[in-house]
Amino acid sequence: MKISVDGVEYEVAEGRTILQALDDVGVLMNGVDIPHYCWHPKLSIDGSCRLCQVEVEGVPKLQIACNTPVAEGMKIHTQSERVQSAREGVMELLLLNHPLDCPICDQAGECKLQDYAFEYGQQHARTQEPRRAAKKRVDLGPTIVFDQERCILCRRCVRFCREVPGTGELSVFSRGDRSVIETFPGQPLANDYSMNVADICPVGALTTKDFRFKIRVWFLEDVPGVCTGCANGCNVYLGVANNRVYRYVPRRNDAVNQTWLCDPGRLSYKRIGADDRIDHAALQNADGIPVAVPLEEAIAAAAERIRNVVATKGAGAVGLLVSPHATNEDLFVARRFLDAIGSTQAGFAVVRGRGDDLLIKEEKAPNASGARALGFEDAAGLLSRTRGGAVEALVVMGHDVLAAPYAESRDALERVDTLVLLDTHRSPLESIAHVVVPVRHAAEKEGTLTNFAGRVQRVQPAVEPPFEALSEGEALWQIAQALGLPGFDDPYDVRAVSKALAQSVPAFAGLDLDSVPPDGAPLAGAGD
Amino acid sequence: MQKAPFVTSYLTEHAGDDAFATLAGYRARGGWEAARKALTQMSPDDVVNLVKDAGLQGRGGAGFGTGMKWSFMPKAADKPKYLVCNADESEPGSFKDRLLLERAPHQMLEGIVIGAWATGASKTFVYVRGEYAQPADVLQRAIDECYAEGLLGSDVMGTGFAHDVVVTRGAGAYICGEETGLLESLEGKKGQPRKKPPFPAQYGAFGMPTTVNNVETFSHVPHIVKNGPAWFKGFGTEKSPGTTIFGVSGLVQRPGLYELPLGTRLDEIVFQHAGGPLPGRKVRGVIPGGMSMPILPVSQLDVPMANEFLRERKTMLGTGGVMVIDDSVCMVRVACVVTYFFRDESCGQCTQCREGTGWLHKIVQRIERGAGSREDIDILLDVCGKMEGQTICAFADAAAWPVQGLLRHFREDFEAHVEHGKCPFPQSFEL
Amino acid sequence: MVISAETRAAIDAEIAKYPKRRGALLPALHLVQKQTGWISPETAQELAAIFEIHPIEVMEVVTFYNMFYDRPQGRHHVYVCTNLPCSLRGARDLLKEIEQHLGIESGETTPDGRITLGHEECLGACAWAPMLRIGAQYHENLDVETAKRLLDELK
Ligand SMILES: Cc1cc2nc3c(=O)[nH]c(=O)nc-3n(C[C@H](O)[C@H](O)[C@H](O)COP(=O)(O)O)c2cc1C
Ligand code: SF4
Ligand code: SF4
Ligand code: SF4
Ligand code: FES
Ligand code: FES
Repeated sequence: MKISVDGVEYEVAEGRTILQALDDVGVLMNGVDIPHYCWHPKLSIDGSCRLCQVEVEGVPKLQIACNTPVAEGMKIHTQSERVQSAREGVMELLLLNHPLDCPICDQAGECKLQDYAFEYGQQHARTQEPRRAAKKRVDLGPTIVFDQERCILCRRCVRFCREVPGTGELSVFSRGDRSVIETFPGQPLANDYSMNVADICPVGALTTKDFRFKIRVWFLEDVPGVCTGCANGCNVYLGVANNRVYRYVPRRNDAVNQTWLCDPGRLSYKRIGADDRIDHAALQNADGIPVAVPLEEAIAAAAERIRNVVATKGAGAVGLLVSPHATNEDLFVARRFLDAIGSTQAGFAVVRGRGDDLLIKEEKAPNASGARALGFEDAAGLLSRTRGGAVEALVVMGHDVLAAPYAESRDALERVDTLVLLDTHRSPLESIAHVVVPVRHAAEKEGTLTNFAGRVQRVQPAVEPPFEALSEGEALWQIAQALGLPGFDDPYDVRAVSKALAQSVPAFAGLDLDSVPPDGAPLAGAGD
Repeated sequence: MQKAPFVTSYLTEHAGDDAFATLAGYRARGGWEAARKALTQMSPDDVVNLVKDAGLQGRGGAGFGTGMKWSFMPKAADKPKYLVCNADESEPGSFKDRLLLERAPHQMLEGIVIGAWATGASKTFVYVRGEYAQPADVLQRAIDECYAEGLLGSDVMGTGFAHDVVVTRGAGAYICGEETGLLESLEGKKGQPRKKPPFPAQYGAFGMPTTVNNVETFSHVPHIVKNGPAWFKGFGTEKSPGTTIFGVSGLVQRPGLYELPLGTRLDEIVFQHAGGPLPGRKVRGVIPGGMSMPILPVSQLDVPMANEFLRERKTMLGTGGVMVIDDSVCMVRVACVVTYFFRDESCGQCTQCREGTGWLHKIVQRIERGAGSREDIDILLDVCGKMEGQTICAFADAAAWPVQGLLRHFREDFEAHVEHGKCPFPQSFEL
Repeated sequence: MVISAETRAAIDAEIAKYPKRRGALLPALHLVQKQTGWISPETAQELAAIFEIHPIEVMEVVTFYNMFYDRPQGRHHVYVCTNLPCSLRGARDLLKEIEQHLGIESGETTPDGRITLGHEECLGACAWAPMLRIGAQYHENLDVETAKRLLDELK
């Protein structure tokens, strides 16, 4: 059906409310400004803040856009004088009990109260009354702190806990202007998704302990990326300043993560700048001790050792244990490496853990589906063949292989002639690897990842590692070059790799780096 | 039990007789015959049309046409339908429903059964305010009698029609009188009014089609069925037929209940029926319909008590709670009591209401203390304007109107406080 | 267990009256309070289990309504109505006298735990002001002496 908003016509779906309909067509706050506090696209309609009032022709009273169903031919005005004055009224009343200390508030810069007050409010509330007494810095649980004086009682946080994780830890107690957000004694806000309440809180009332007062948000650059905590591939913005990632916040993608992140995933940004990053290449000396070497030396040594294995045992004795943390492009290079050298010894290991019905997937890596799509099988076969002596040179990406169910196979890794480790973080594998090459995190490189449902999504460098490191693909490419393998003559270029992937693997058709839309796209043949 | 009205009509004619609260006593006065007539001789639509023709308006405060409201109920019988009898009576100055519960419970129950027949409702929840524990007991006894005598239950009066009545007690929250706040409370939740749509006739109690009517509204119904619309219209005004029970309180000689036709003049109620002011005092102003309704100054009491006339004076009939204020009383103190009440009782969902009620009270308090300014008086009006017509329920309007009324007619009291920094009424009740 | 078997049986009888279980929450809170005087977190948890809701949903209801208490109360509740019609007829003076008589302020409980005193909004007895209620019992047309006598009779 058609509605018109400020004279512009939109084709919208029946059965939606005005805000929902405008959100569906992507113009809400992006062409059509209807400020709103309590409404959130992924939560039930509350209708209480009354900020979203608009004028509907033929209806005498202002109507709240969040709860008013659209009707054929409905004519809506969002900027009329009456609407503006209603907004001003709501803003003034809200600011009454709200401290005007944005400069010291952690939400400053991404506060809807601050924004709207600037646009619609008077700068100072006209009252001399003391604001009501409020609780400050209440610990709601392990992740979240609550400042009552900033709370505007939009109940988004309450609805979130009830409707999304279903844990319902938060509630509004009492009534009238004594209303206050509370938890039940002994039942703190603690669930796998608790930190989302800080994102959806339109003001600075709920903040995460992790990010609180770390850095002013306006210093942060928001770089789109993907969480690598599990196979769901939730879309994030990486908050970056000074070549450091300070946080992940959810990036809305209705096909993947709605507007949410799980807490472990959200905190997994810490892995990027972690102290246990492998920050130098190493070679094992005669005593079995890893010794730091320049990166080129490690690549050369890896190639040299592989060459020897090929010479003595044949190309078939070279194996590749790839990582589901690597990108599709990295894995495609791995595929070509195997083909070029003439081996079929390959597999991937992925750590499994707890999943749920919401976002969290059992596979704790972002690209196991990519590995499968590129023909890699579970590592069990490769490991048993390695133990049996069929593989003598093994390139291992990452250390997922140390976890169950592969852990028993460690002896297989210990017995090979050559173990080349390409990894981001330190692990016991370093001590048995002959060559160690530091690699880039997904937040440090170009590429795509395929989530559990076969959705291909792009990552890009948000930060530069403070040490020399290569992507897994580039490391293999350089080893291949050193080995003189055919097809690796050009210098490594991830875009070229990505084009080749899209051209040669049907599932990835049309999914090269520059063609993948910001919210991703399904593998050919994967349902969306 | 409450004292019976000083002036009675058809609703309260027998209210002075304690036996009227029992089934035997009620039957002795012809009780339950109207229900028998409706259930055996009339179709549900006949009943709806009859009540429409009679022009009965709801007595819970909003004055909506009862027959019209009943006709909104879906006809389909695919899911259960409910009636709710609103016995939350918490509007300050209102105490008539308590009388009807305590002294005429069968009259109301008979109205409920007729309403149930008309709307196809299988169950009625009577939501009684928590403080009315004793009226609720009386009502429960009456209900028990009805079940024992086959007037309620699976086969009402042998007609095959089934109807149950459940009494639910509230727990002290004025907002549960608002019909959707009531529905939430009935469902075991906080009594926070629902946003509309959906409306109760589609999605009411427990998600089922529901009609909410006031205790007194139901109580008129048997009389209409028994005597017909023409008879009913013989009482009251053309647009507002019937009687209502005015509750007169405050500073008059004979506070109490008076059942009078709608359209009875306010000055007649105050000066004749209720005996006028206390010795040596003068009436200053009268709140005509419960605390939510704007006050009228003594010069404007020559108004018939019916909405079509009261509206011209920017006020309404509300619940018919007539509060009389005399010349000893400071209207700023009245404003303090009024704004305290609405601040206390706001459910707290809507921004304008939650924040506005608090602000009104704080400013009025400051003016009362003598610390206010002229600007404060304007801010009061400005805040009222921001609260009106913009919230989930009419509570915010109800909180703004009385303040607007006081400032419309008694601004001088506020100005005196501001000018002199103290209260000019030495005899006024203290806060 | 806080909730007695007897109270539990009464709650179950209430539940049977409603199309959805939760409809009986307010009746249940009244019943439990009759037994225990107030709703402790422990009680809230037991009720939550009966009604298959989160305990916090019980507490949000308790804190919303005036007549449910989230802390221990005196043996008797005495509430003076101070709304306008009652105030016009002396309710506030009555409340002050009672405060003095009991030596506590509105909102407090006597040290011996005998009486919790409060003031309330209109109780529907406006013509018979001033008035107070002791528990469910209304006392209307009061003068100070009668009121004091009523209070002194409370055990
Ligand atoms: C704040 C507020 C309080 C109300 N309180 C009551 C009440 O105590 N009793 C009542 O019958 N109606 C009350 N109403 C009106 C009800 O919402 C509803 O209109 C009424 O119960 C319908 O019954 P009627 O059509 O028979 O009047 C209140 C309305 C508002 C906005
Ligand atoms: S804490 Fe934030 S999200 Fe929760 S009600 Fe308050 S303002 Fe809304
Ligand atoms: S569900 Fe998975 S992808 Fe999403 S935030 Fe959590 S760990 Fe990251
Ligand atoms: S107007 Fe007031 S009482 Fe009514 S829903 Fe809004 S906040 Fe609650
Ligand atoms: S966004 Fe519509 S009322 Fe809050
Ligand atoms: S004002 Fe006290 S009972 Fe109504």
